[in-house]
Amino acid sequence: MAVDHLFAAGVNFGSLPAQVVNGILIGSLYALIALGYTMVYGVLRLINFAHGEVYMLGAYTALFVSWLIYGNQVAPVHTFWWALPTMLLASMTVSALVGVILERFAYRPLRNEPRIASLITAIGLSLLLQFGGQLFLPVAPPPNINAKVNPYSDSMTFYLKPPAKPLADKASSLEAEATATEKAYNEALSGVPSGEEPGPTVTALRNNYFEARNAYEEAKGAAANSGVSVTIPKGQLIMFVVTMFLMAILRHLVMFTKQGRAMRAVSHDFDSASLMGINVNSTVTFTFILGSALAGAGAMMSATFISGVKIDTFYGLLPGVKAFVAAVLGGIGNIPGAVLGGLLMGVAESLVIWVGWGDYKDAVAFLILIGVLMFRPGGLLGSAKVEKV
Amino acid sequence: MSFWIRRLASIALAVGGCFLIDWFAKENLKDFIVRLVVLAALYITLAVSLNLINGITGQFSIGHAAFYQVGAYAAGLATVTFYKSQPLGLALWIPLMMLVGGVTASVAGLVVGLPSLRLRGDYLAIVTLGFGEIIRIVTQNLKVVGAASGMAVEPKMSTPMIWLAWLLAITSIAVCRNLLQTAHGLGFLAVREDEIASSAMGVNVTRTKVAAFVLGSAFAGMAGGFLAHYEGFLIPTMFTMDVSFIILTMVVLGGSGSVTGSVIAAILLSTLPEFLRDIQQISMAGLVAAAISIIAGVVAVRYVSQHVHTPSTRRIAYPGAIIGSIILTVVLSKVLAFIPTLANASTDGSRIRLVIFAVTLVVLMLVRPQGLLGHREFGWGSLRRSEA
Repeated sequence: MAVDHLFAAGVNFGSLPAQVVNGILIGSLYALIALGYTMVYGVLRLINFAHGEVYMLGAYTALFVSWLIYGNQVAPVHTFWWALPTMLLASMTVSALVGVILERFAYRPLRNEPRIASLITAIGLSLLLQFGGQLFLPVAPPPNINAKVNPYSDSMTFYLKPPAKPLADKASSLEAEATATEKAYNEALSGVPSGEEPGPTVTALRNNYFEARNAYEEAKGAAANSGVSVTIPKGQLIMFVVTMFLMAILRHLVMFTKQGRAMRAVSHDFDSASLMGINVNSTVTFTFILGSALAGAGAMMSATFISGVKIDTFYGLLPGVKAFVAAVLGGIGNIPGAVLGGLLMGVAESLVIWVGWGDYKDAVAFLILIGVLMFRPGGLLGSAKVEKV
Repeated sequence: MSFWIRRLASIALAVGGCFLIDWFAKENLKDFIVRLVVLAALYITLAVSLNLINGITGQFSIGHAAFYQVGAYAAGLATVTFYKSQPLGLALWIPLMMLVGGVTASVAGLVVGLPSLRLRGDYLAIVTLGFGEIIRIVTQNLKVVGAASGMAVEPKMSTPMIWLAWLLAITSIAVCRNLLQTAHGLGFLAVREDEIASSAMGVNVTRTKVAAFVLGSAFAGMAGGFLAHYEGFLIPTMFTMDVSFIILTMVVLGGSGSVTGSVIAAILLSTLPEFLRDIQQISMAGLVAAAISIIAGVVAVRYVSQHVHTPSTRRIAYPGAIIGSIILTVVLSKVLAFIPTLANASTDGSRIRLVIFAVTLVVLMLVRPQGLLGHREFGWGSLRRSEA
């Protein structure tokens, strides 16, 4: 039971910094997706339910491009410097295109209908891309791209507090012993002719080796627990850096360009902006391009750098929902709010895992959402609007 | 006096009708069809009860499967725990358990209805969706109800009690219809049209919204209670978001606010796609042809609605566009069959079931956002009026 674990064993505070860092890394991905939700909401007052599916199509694009470049081979390291950016650009382009198509042919015709109509359309499109996509896209493609083209699958460990000296010494001496017994066992094993049962001496050597290795693992664990360390997969670090870079570009676009100013004007007041000579349609298209391209970038990076999630047509469902919650948490329509919300969301999720309630990790997003909407409907950075008659 | 005679007669007719359906289905229909008859009744109940929340009161709930699930699990758990230690027979016990499911679900409805006081439109939609997911994730991890591997409900009904399902469906229809004839019911409609104006007119908006949630979720819970004893087995994957969206599609297709529309759409959408399950091979050429002609049809209908204003031309143009797109499907599927990659590829029918629901939602919003019937209702009065 999760609760027993919490109170009986006690929470391991040594792993807290690692979990917070993990949360921030994954939270940057949520923030990237949340930006798409929040910008579209800011401009159109529409929750773009299909945003998660735009993300999913971005991941598929990355997958297909990786197949195109590498076929079924494992990627050689020296090609990464051009292959990964190619995948990134392809994903961003395709996602932006999908976003624009959705806006042009599904949302724009309904702009003057009640808002519920657009919302139902968005739900319908999301379902259509999930289940219709199943008919045309390979569901669970055999080689996941992560295993092939993640050059940075190893990770870096930083020590905030080094492991206790005696424990570390013990671990290293046990390691030497484990290596020695392993070597002895392997030598003995190679002496046995193939097809014959190994004799009792070989079995004894093997048992020695196993015992030594177990002792070493145990000591290593104890040593690691006595220190405070943070382990960061290199790929996720790259993801974080690229995300921050993209956000900086976005900030520049929104704050210092003509289109960005138009976007802010439209989000402030749709009708007045159109009266002031702003081309509302092209501004909305621009918003969808930005939001969807960010989702595409996030999809490519998560498909490449985060292992263990297979790509199917529901790939965007959970990240999409969590990113939406992040957008609401930060104050929907508010761009810095989406980033803050995404990071908080990631941290909250990894804290839940840290406490030992990993099974409920996906429910937490919704609990946060309901809590925010009940007590601060405007979100952390947004402000709730008073409705006037 | 004649009022009571008419009332009692219609109740007798309804109950008699249920047993007639039951008898007819069991005598003449295959098991597969009997199952559809039962499911149709459950979906009618679900669609009508969601219509009470979405269509009649104007809230936007998209997590109706959660109430269905709460009802099913509450009833299932009660049966597993208490059935052996009580004297009632199964025929009495199951309706009782449906009530238990209904009451439990209405408590859940109360919990969801309360935030609806502060939220509207899309925010409420998200909260109901989130509530549904929380319920599903919690049941998935709760050992008492079998967690992810499901829970067997013993004893289940020996033969499907079709009459009970239909009685539930008819009750939900009657409650919704009769509610709209009362002053309270008009309050529901007033809240839908304008909350602020209706509160100025003395409608208790808070109570009306919560009442809609409680009543709607109670019926969904009762349907769940029936389902638990009908299937004899409950597993969280029976109540995913897809189920909520299917119910939503029914309400939207029928026309938000129209009970008749919900009933018709529920019958159509719960039975027709089921027949697809039997079809093993659907050619990709046909699917692509259907997709292209649906798009063409939508474009044509939208063009007519925006550019053709003569009523007589319109009367021809709308059916023309629809028939044209059907013809286009047939012709295109033959033409596309010449492309070998499309002709050789095929998919089985069960995979396009949910695609149909999604397409229905999108096409409907683009072509006829008010749904098939809009706000209109079927009634004997309208028949009489058309005769006169």
